[in-house]
Amino acid sequence: MEFTGAIREAKKGTAELVVLAFLNDQPRHGYELTQLIEERSGGALTFNFASLYATLYKLEERKWIQGRWVEKAGQRRRRYYKITDEGREVLAAQRKEWRQFFELIRDLAGVRYA
Amino acid sequence: MPDRELRRWKSLVRERADREWRELSLDVVDELACHLADLHAAALRGGSTEREARQAALDALNAASFLEVSKRPRARRGVGYGHDVRIALRQLVATPVVTAIAVLSLALGIGANTAIFSLVNSLSLRALPVKDPQRLAILDAQDNGSWTYPIFEELRRRSQLFDGIFAWDTQRFDLANGGITEFVDGAWATAGLFDTLGVSPIVGRTFTEADDVRGGGPDGPVAVIGYTFWQRRFGGAGDVIGKRLTLEGVPFTVVGVMPRGFFGPDVGHRLDVIVPVGMLTTVRPERSFEQRDYWWLSIMVRLKAGQSVDQATDAIRSLQPQIREATLPNRWPAADLVEYLRAPLTLAPAATGSSSLRQRYERPLLTIMVVVVLVLLIACANIANLLLARATARRHEWSVRLALGASRWRLVRLLLTESLLLSAIGAGVGLLVARWGSQLLVAQLSTQTNTVFLDLSVDWRVLAFTTGITVITAVLFGVAPAYRAAGVAPMEAIKEQGRSTGAGANRLSLANALVVVQVALSVILVVAAALFLRTFTKLATLDLGFEPSRVLVVKMSAERASIDNPAQRMAVYERARQAVAGLPGVQSAALSLVTPVSGNNWGNRLEVSGGVALTDSRRSALRNQVSPGFFDTYGQRLVAGRAFNNTDRVGSPPVALVNQAFARRFLNGENPIGHTLRRFPAQPDEPSREIVGVVGDAVYRRLRDPVPPTVYSSTTQSADVPTTEFNLSVRAAGSPALLTQSIADAIAVVNKDLALTFRPLSDQIGASLTQERIVAMLAGFFGTLALLLAGLGLYGVTSYAVSRRRNEIGIRMALGAAPAGVVRLVLSRVSMLVGLGVVIGAGISLWASPVVATLLYGLEPRDPATLASSIAVLAAVGAIAGWLPARRAARIDPAEVLRDS
Repeated sequence: MEFTGAIREAKKGTAELVVLAFLNDQPRHGYELTQLIEERSGGALTFNFASLYATLYKLEERKWIQGRWVEKAGQRRRRYYKITDEGREVLAAQRKEWRQFFELIRDLAGVRYA
Repeated sequence: MPDRELRRWKSLVRERADREWRELSLDVVDELACHLADLHAAALRGGSTEREARQAALDALNAASFLEVSKRPRARRGVGYGHDVRIALRQLVATPVVTAIAVLSLALGIGANTAIFSLVNSLSLRALPVKDPQRLAILDAQDNGSWTYPIFEELRRRSQLFDGIFAWDTQRFDLANGGITEFVDGAWATAGLFDTLGVSPIVGRTFTEADDVRGGGPDGPVAVIGYTFWQRRFGGAGDVIGKRLTLEGVPFTVVGVMPRGFFGPDVGHRLDVIVPVGMLTTVRPERSFEQRDYWWLSIMVRLKAGQSVDQATDAIRSLQPQIREATLPNRWPAADLVEYLRAPLTLAPAATGSSSLRQRYERPLLTIMVVVVLVLLIACANIANLLLARATARRHEWSVRLALGASRWRLVRLLLTESLLLSAIGAGVGLLVARWGSQLLVAQLSTQTNTVFLDLSVDWRVLAFTTGITVITAVLFGVAPAYRAAGVAPMEAIKEQGRSTGAGANRLSLANALVVVQVALSVILVVAAALFLRTFTKLATLDLGFEPSRVLVVKMSAERASIDNPAQRMAVYERARQAVAGLPGVQSAALSLVTPVSGNNWGNRLEVSGGVALTDSRRSALRNQVSPGFFDTYGQRLVAGRAFNNTDRVGSPPVALVNQAFARRFLNGENPIGHTLRRFPAQPDEPSREIVGVVGDAVYRRLRDPVPPTVYSSTTQSADVPTTEFNLSVRAAGSPALLTQSIADAIAVVNKDLALTFRPLSDQIGASLTQERIVAMLAGFFGTLALLLAGLGLYGVTSYAVSRRRNEIGIRMALGAAPAGVVRLVLSRVSMLVGLGVVIGAGISLWASPVVATLLYGLEPRDPATLASSIAVLAAVGAIAGWLPARRAARIDPAEVLRDS
């Protein structure tokens, strides 16, 4: 699925939300994140890999997530990102905002989401 | 495997970031590379081919913008160069064996070049460490090699000609007070030396015109000493001024110390002691420095500011008639005097000082310089081949770099950076090799009677030279792989996945060409080495006409033995001979005025009764005065007649012995016995002598010279001795060196003031071959090195060719080819390369070898045997280098090859 126009613009703002959401349940590395996003969106959402890392570094700089090199047996050394308490608060706040935004759109434009 | 994969991606990420001029932190590079590797691996797991998987990851990388992930843009200036050096270093570390071989070859090549160049530099190029050396000029002494004091005096009187003038003669002074000598290098000099050179003492004063008078000035005999001697002899004591120094038995007072680094006007000779010319007569009472026929001085002048050497020469020539007229040598034949008046006085530039060493070693050094340049070229070819092999392995990396948008120029730059880095490391090690090597060489130049001193400190010329050859070397061996890199097509190597055919063949033809060059250069070097080694061997094993082993030469100097009457000197020498002859361990002892290859000679023009008509110059014969028993002591053959004996006395009919060469020249080979000989033209003070015996030809002055006509007269018939020095040659039963002390003691009993210098005859002869020995040693060493390098190069290329043709060979064998056939197949390639190289090399050798003709002895520069044996050696090395990979090829298991392919 290709997004155009407004949605494409909106997608940029959602990147941070999506990354925080995926990290909320467990620490993950960058490649895993791209795979998850692609999988869960059924291929509709993809990140250029450099942009994904740019997002990760930005979040890390704001101390919403924290990266750490982990070496697991039989695997390559990878950098795992974990959400911080501050990150969780931001995520909760953002979720709330988005929810309110969607409700507003639904009421105004008659868009329903599943 | 994952690690290699990850490294590859890391370098691609860096390359990509470079292209955007962004700098990524190490963590970011690691993380992005890890991501790409995961992507690649996942695609493979998903069923993609290797090529598709790689392309997918590359696409992701290509689509990325590093603007956001990079912390900062990289400064544009210097980008790349630092990065290039880092990449180059990584490459060098990644292939340690190749790097080590390359650095070692370069260190030897560059080191040898720098060592020889620094010798050439200090001998011929470096200006004297004095004030304004460009204004120094030397009075060119073509005929006599030196000047008389009266000529110097005439020039000095005309002080308006120059800004300064001095004369000097290098001399070894004996520090011992009788008995065994202890020499120090020094010079007689006129007082103008210091001002003319513009050097001041660091302690005390120099000597002045007032000191430079017959017998010494107001302070008596004074001496100025050099820095090194001050340190060595006086421990650098500050109160050295006024100290006593005994030279040749005469006490001198030290008045000054010259600065460190000052060695005098002669390159190759360091002046430890400088004494005024005016003291000559005190030290050598038989000499008068004012003598008009005593040629002993060199003369140097300082030109006036702005005056050219030619202008100064013109100025002297305008005064030449007066100068020559006032200094006519006494006792010269009229014809010689005419020549004397006519010979033009000429000045020559002397910014680099004067040096007999320079004349002697200039050609040998240039020859060796060519040799080491060739060695370096061979080393370059070898390294180029090594890098080419590595380049093939790296084609994949390059094509990916190109695919990612790197320019070809960028790739070439990267490779040249690698070459330059390699070359610079080689040069660094090479400088150490050079330092050690040049010191070793200078030490080899010194002999017992001639201590060679050369300032080998690294100056801008040496640095520029080394830097120059470093860069040239890097370009030479870096260009081949860079050329290959420039020819890589983007993604080509990826498509081929390392199983190339066409590109490998290209690399092989380039490599083959390099091997042919190596073989050709090696032929040249091996031929040169063989020529020099054979020259040295011929000289070292030359039939001297006498037996030098176990002969000790004792030079006896009666300078201060207070024997006034010259006639009594001979009696003293004879008593010394008898005392020594009676010592245990001494087989025989004999006196002679001259000993072979000693650097001294004595000659006259002669005429023989009933002899053939000869031109004046052909009448010259060398002479020697020897005691009875001389020919036995030396083992020189008596061919006809009799030797000297005790019936030959003062007052008995004067007799002479001649050698065979004399009979050939003066009597057309007739038996000379019974003929008489005398000086030509006849001299009233020398009688004619009857020839009573003929001895075998023996080397006199130089081993290289054909044996000259030689006349021997007897010490027992001599009324006086022409010099204060006489030689005692002692044949020992055992090692002659062990006799030194007992001989010294025995002679001291006869006269304790005789100064004695000991030297084994074989050492004296060996020292005369110093130049030949050094040239042969260096040429041999570098010839061997060249052979080794060429062998390695050939082996490498053949091995590579075999590994590339493994499949083909396997299939041939599967189809029934015998191992012997496979060996033939491989060796035929090798012989083609070697053959081509040998033909080219032999051709160049034949063309160029006459250049070294003057350095050879007893063989032609185009000596066919030398050429043939050199080619045989090359062929043998080629056979070994080719046989090893050939044998491996013959052992290829066809089944394994078929399974793998």
